[in-house]
Amino acid sequence: MTELIAARRRMAIFLGLFLFVVVLLTSQARSPDRRQVGAIGTGVLTLLMPVQAGMARIADGVGRMWELYTEIGRLRVENARLRGDVEALSRKMAELREQAAAAQRLERLLELRSQTAYRSLAAHVVGRDVSRWFGTLLVDRGSRDGVRRNAPVVTADGVVGRVIEVTLTTSRVLLIVDSRSAVGALVQRSRDLAVVEGRSERTLHLKYLSRTAQVEPGDLVVTSGQGGVFPKGLVVGRITRVVQEEGEYLQEAQVEPAAALDRLEEVLILLPR
Amino acid sequence: MSRALAYTGVLVVVALVQAAWLARVQVWGAALDPLLPFAVGMGILRGAESGAVVGVAAGLLQDLLSGGGPLGVNGLSKLVVGFASGLFERSIYIENPLLPAIATFVGTLLGEVLLVIVALIVGLGVPSWSGLVAKMIVQAILNSAIAPLLFRGIRAIETRLQREH
Repeated sequence: MTELIAARRRMAIFLGLFLFVVVLLTSQARSPDRRQVGAIGTGVLTLLMPVQAGMARIADGVGRMWELYTEIGRLRVENARLRGDVEALSRKMAELREQAAAAQRLERLLELRSQTAYRSLAAHVVGRDVSRWFGTLLVDRGSRDGVRRNAPVVTADGVVGRVIEVTLTTSRVLLIVDSRSAVGALVQRSRDLAVVEGRSERTLHLKYLSRTAQVEPGDLVVTSGQGGVFPKGLVVGRITRVVQEEGEYLQEAQVEPAAALDRLEEVLILLPR
Repeated sequence: MSRALAYTGVLVVVALVQAAWLARVQVWGAALDPLLPFAVGMGILRGAESGAVVGVAAGLLQDLLSGGGPLGVNGLSKLVVGFASGLFERSIYIENPLLPAIATFVGTLLGEVLLVIVALIVGLGVPSWSGLVAKMIVQAILNSAIAPLLFRGIRAIETRLQREH
């Protein structure tokens, strides 16, 4: 009996609540938005909305932090990729610059080749004498290519030196700055004859210049063609300082080599036709 | 009175958490709805009357806080689910976490079907059936996952209330 009453009570409560909700729903069905909160609902919302808004703000903050965190991860990956790209492009750019510089140098050598009466042979510098200041250098042309001892070696800028040693595939060049080097020279403006000697320094020494010679810094020094090694008119360098000592019959000068002897990469070996 | 107050507090907190936080995290269109396992748990642990009352209150609160739809859509579905759960009062052994989870799975599917029916009756748009079924199943899985925890929570509240009396 008690069970029956309890069951009926349960059903009554359920049906009551069901009816209440159905009425609530149908009452809203007629409204344009199909939603009418009513006075109680408004009261509940007035109490709870500030709390919900606060919680939503916290969730927004956490969401933003999460986005920031994932963004940092994404940016890291992108940064690494871009760094890789930059490195690859830098390498490529350096390669292209190198090619452009080589092309420029070769172009000037070709110009010189067409100007000289000698047969010229382009050679790459493959070694340097590291034991002394600019003493000698090794090029990748030898007797197989027709290179002979004492062949003049030049660049588009000026005289480099002469061949002192020849193998089948390589040649050793004695630079004009080497103390063993002496080249017959001519001051281009005044036409005074002299000899350019090396001192195993960066500069050359212009010797046996007449005391009456009117030379001054800036004058161009070219080969005189005397001595049988270098043809006449090749640029040796430019006078940087004139030395006139009291009581001496001759005067001397310091000459800056025209060719960049410390940065040589390609040279021309002049051979008789 | 203190029991009503305690459950009202819990309901309000759970409804707020659901509306403000859990509703944002969606899995294939479904979001965790702890109010439903709560109504199921109340029905099973405290009977059909409690299940119905808590169900309707939870649903109406959800309708209020989640905004948009007419008041009573969730109220009606959770009322039925809570009451129906009460018909199995004390017949589900909650120490085994699988049974509350299964009860909640079935309860969620029932609630979702009711929601669709009510939505159709009041003229609300219903998405495609294939998507709807997938969403219902995901929703049921999500709710089932937290059901054992919620059931234990309800029992802890009950134990504490009994100790106080």
